[in-house]
Amino acid sequence: MQNRLLFHQSSASLEVIGLPDYSNNENKDQISIISQWKLTIIDKPLIEGKIQHLGPIMDAFYIYSNLLINNEIPLYESKLIDMKADNLHIHNIVLKSSKPDVKPLIIKIGNSLLSDIINCFDQLNESSNVIIKKSAVLNNIPKKVRFGLNNKVKFFNFFLPPLIAICSLILFSSTFIYFYNPVEDKEKNELINSK
Amino acid sequence: MPNKVTIWKLRNNNPLRKSYMNNNIKLEEFDALIKITVEMSRYLYPYIREILQSKEDPENTSVIWNDFNKRFIELINERFNINSMRVKKLLNQSGNDEIIIKSLLILSLCISNKGYQKMINYLFI
Repeated sequence: MQNRLLFHQSSASLEVIGLPDYSNNENKDQISIISQWKLTIIDKPLIEGKIQHLGPIMDAFYIYSNLLINNEIPLYESKLIDMKADNLHIHNIVLKSSKPDVKPLIIKIGNSLLSDIINCFDQLNESSNVIIKKSAVLNNIPKKVRFGLNNKVKFFNFFLPPLIAICSLILFSSTFIYFYNPVEDKEKNELINSK
Repeated sequence: MPNKVTIWKLRNNNPLRKSYMNNNIKLEEFDALIKITVEMSRYLYPYIREILQSKEDPENTSVIWNDFNKRFIELINERFNINSMRVKKLLNQSGNDEIIIKSLLILSLCISNKGYQKMINYLFI
């Protein structure tokens, strides 16, 4: 018998179905082997998938909401899901099936539904009854977002070597700096005059 | 927060307010204000959601949005320093939609148990 957990927020509800990992001495109410999940949104088609789809979809929603709030261009593209803002209030989601010959599912959601869905994901993340094994976060960053990170790295790589060179030149040449000492100069002049 | 008067005094640390006084807010007090904001947004989530939703349908004359915007501008006129350029930007009816929607969206995304941490992240990113 599989366990079912439901996370509900206003118009969205997320159902997670799976089993506890008995080899890890887990409680019978827990879920750590997720076999299926379903995201139900009122007036929208049902979204469902397996564990390998849940992580990327959750990441997509979190990254997209961060882009939206940080005044950046809200655009997320990956193999599984594309998210784009139509305007300030409406967001366009394209869910691509991993099965061949299945047309992508296009859903339009508003800010209210976006926050409902993210709150469902928050409840799942915070639930002690579900354990999600997370893969490396960097691998999940889509090309469009990773492009920004690469640019930053390139920028540092471009400016760091000349900066280090200038600093080392200053440090090295500072050891040879001659400081003018007026007292010593006076003594020299006196010696010359006495001669 | 020992009492409501302390919260009222802390609000005056906002440089946009008419009654602005620099009391050098402490880190614990700042944290407490964020926690109160998160708790309030959790309590007011149905209303926040309703306001966001009312603006989504362009054909629908959004009564809820108009009421909220009207009250928002009234409060700003009443309590904020309207000579400040930043306040003038908030009062600009054609341009303040984005500021209001993003603020409401931030509040609606911070209602979980880890909402405090999320709010801190949004404030400092």
